[in-house]
Amino acid sequence: MARLLVQLKLRMLRNALRSSGQAKAGFITSTIFAVLVAIITFIGLAALRGNSASVDATTVVFTVFVFGWLILPLMVFGLDGTLDPATLALYPLRTGPLAVGLLAASAAGAWPLANLIGLLGVTIGLAHGALGILIAVLAVVLELLFCITLTRFVTTGLAGLLRSRRGRDLAILLIIPIFALYEGFAQVVPKLAADHKLSLASFRGVDAWLRWLPPGMAAHAIQDASDGHAGAALLRLALLAAVVVALGYLWIRSLNRALVSVDTSTQSSSVHAAALSFARYGLRGAVAARFWVYQRRDPSSLIGWGITAVIMVAVSISTILTPRYLIGLITSAIFGAAFAGLFHANIVGTTGPAFGSEAAALTGARSLRAYFSGQDAVFATIAVPLLTAISFVLAAVAKHPLDGFVGMALDIAGIGAGLALSNIFSVTAAYPVERRVGSPTPRPADGYRGYAIGGTFGNLIGTAIAVIPFIVAVVLTKSDPAAVRMPVLVVCAAVYGLGLTWAGVRIAAHLGADRLPELALVALRSKL
Amino acid sequence: MGEPAIVVHDLRKTFGEKQAVAGINLEIGQGSFAGLVGPNGAGKTTSLSMMTGLLRPDSGRILINGVDVWANPVDAKAIIGVVPAESRLFERLSGEELLEYAGRLRQLPTAEVRSRAAQLLDVLDLADDAKRLVADYSTGMRKKAALGCALIHNPAVLFLDEPLEGVDPVSADAIRRLLTRFVESGSTVLFSSHVMELVEQVCDHVSIIDKGEIVATGTTDQVRNGKTLHQAFIDLVGSRANGGEGLSWLGSSSN
Repeated sequence: MARLLVQLKLRMLRNALRSSGQAKAGFITSTIFAVLVAIITFIGLAALRGNSASVDATTVVFTVFVFGWLILPLMVFGLDGTLDPATLALYPLRTGPLAVGLLAASAAGAWPLANLIGLLGVTIGLAHGALGILIAVLAVVLELLFCITLTRFVTTGLAGLLRSRRGRDLAILLIIPIFALYEGFAQVVPKLAADHKLSLASFRGVDAWLRWLPPGMAAHAIQDASDGHAGAALLRLALLAAVVVALGYLWIRSLNRALVSVDTSTQSSSVHAAALSFARYGLRGAVAARFWVYQRRDPSSLIGWGITAVIMVAVSISTILTPRYLIGLITSAIFGAAFAGLFHANIVGTTGPAFGSEAAALTGARSLRAYFSGQDAVFATIAVPLLTAISFVLAAVAKHPLDGFVGMALDIAGIGAGLALSNIFSVTAAYPVERRVGSPTPRPADGYRGYAIGGTFGNLIGTAIAVIPFIVAVVLTKSDPAAVRMPVLVVCAAVYGLGLTWAGVRIAAHLGADRLPELALVALRSKL
Repeated sequence: MGEPAIVVHDLRKTFGEKQAVAGINLEIGQGSFAGLVGPNGAGKTTSLSMMTGLLRPDSGRILINGVDVWANPVDAKAIIGVVPAESRLFERLSGEELLEYAGRLRQLPTAEVRSRAAQLLDVLDLADDAKRLVADYSTGMRKKAALGCALIHNPAVLFLDEPLEGVDPVSADAIRRLLTRFVESGSTVLFSSHVMELVEQVCDHVSIIDKGEIVATGTTDQVRNGKTLHQAFIDLVGSRANGGEGLSWLGSSSN
């Protein structure tokens, strides 16, 4: 069974590579990133050799990897391309072989391989002697298995335990606090390092309790074997293996439940809205009305706004309480605008097959201009107050509340850039997404991960470049009176942002008018 | 009969090596209830997608009431309605909101849209579920909602791809009655199906497509040629199975 499923997974990857030039580009981009992660991790772990805190640091790295496996599959990149278990539900497969087969299939592919190779850096950094290296290899394999079974168990549990549509919607929203925790961790560590409060020696205290968790057991087994304590090493690995088996068992049980459970949401209550809003504004108003409703009812939209808010706070944590608070404020505004933009940078794919009904009514550049501007109006109505409020809160925390206006100006200019870029990406780099059993958020379809990565970096870089004139203006006018400087900055940003949005709508409509059938095809391939 | 409602001339589409539609020609008169039948993978959905401006043909011409679909998509899309085989609905809108949105996308006055939506929901027996989210609708309800969306702008020509697949008999009857009434008013319906009995029952014009080519077209009586449509279809398309020779292991299960 394991061999068959691994072959199937590899064949699916090969087919994705063959499907089109675009899919090939996406696959290659994703693979390049995987190789980079493998190299950086390997070198980082290997560089710990001879350091007195190497076991503690390795424990932390192993724990971070587990956390990464837990979080990243829920995020936009969709790194985990594991076979959809729902397709196997029809076959009379025993739980044991099915579990082993699905785990083996999950472990096949560029990203799991990159993880494996990267973590094998411990064979140089931490392991000593033949026994140490042997145990290190076993520990890394078990660590990876633990990552895979844990992420499978948690994501399937999220979808399986909450069976109703509303329950699923709530489960999906759990991503926001999880992401906030992750970001808090990711931002605090670099700040401590920058302040020289974090060195390898700092991990000693952390290791005292992390060593008893599965990743810590893997790292300490290597240390024990290298010190000649083979029995202790084997005991730790046996414990880790038992945890993997138990998790795998629980995962399969929750999977079996999730696959045969009835969705009770058809009995859910009605909506209260009498009719769609913006009735007086023609096609633009119709699109705005639908988009407005979706911002409230679609969990993906709420997640997008939640993550945007978390990102804005997270990127400014390290500087907002220092004299360099302005850098934090500017960075926060750029990231906020870019992320708000990138969550809408694939409107066609994320709208899914329903876009087909819109495409049947959209007839050319004129109607597409109404389509994009209707969405942009709703987007800006939410984004401007949200991002501005966060900027003012950050400025207040920094004890320079007036500088909230600086953040506001950059927010508005950045939102203009984010809107323009998201509209252009939506027509030039549209890609299908799919929602799989055990995964609460849609992911790029096989072969399209490069598009998601390209969209992310395109929005970040594009937005950052677009707001450079305002960063320069903020710096140059620093000594001018705030009463004059702030209103001028905000008004100029509003005009600039509107100009960018207007240009983005026109470019996207012009490019999209000739591609409507192709865009409809992309939308039809989405499985939501 | 005046100007034909649908004229298809030498329509072709190839996906990679596979020729999905291999030069079909079709002419359907106004006020016709026409059926496009064929086995799975014959090219029905591809043909309908090209006729409705949702899939670009490699070559060929499609005229709807004299309007070239690909040369003048604005006018063509204004006079057609489409019910696709797979659900293409906004799941997070209520049934009522969905129909209103479809009408407003067609730029109808809002008051008119709301009035039409209420009537359609009533006729389609969805009035009691008008405020429920489409995500919570059953297959039949979704088909009926999709039909409502396609009819709300009163198109001259309606295209339906497998409109009754997965629909219970009660819902199917409601859809069939609505379509018959629509055709009786002078509008045209072209729908694809592989349910011969249904086509024979409601259609006055039938075209049989196989391997991307039209192998027979005309009035239902002409295509049947004295047989049942089912038998005529089998005779034209040919039985694909070889009767099961070589399947000696199948049946009386002992694995």
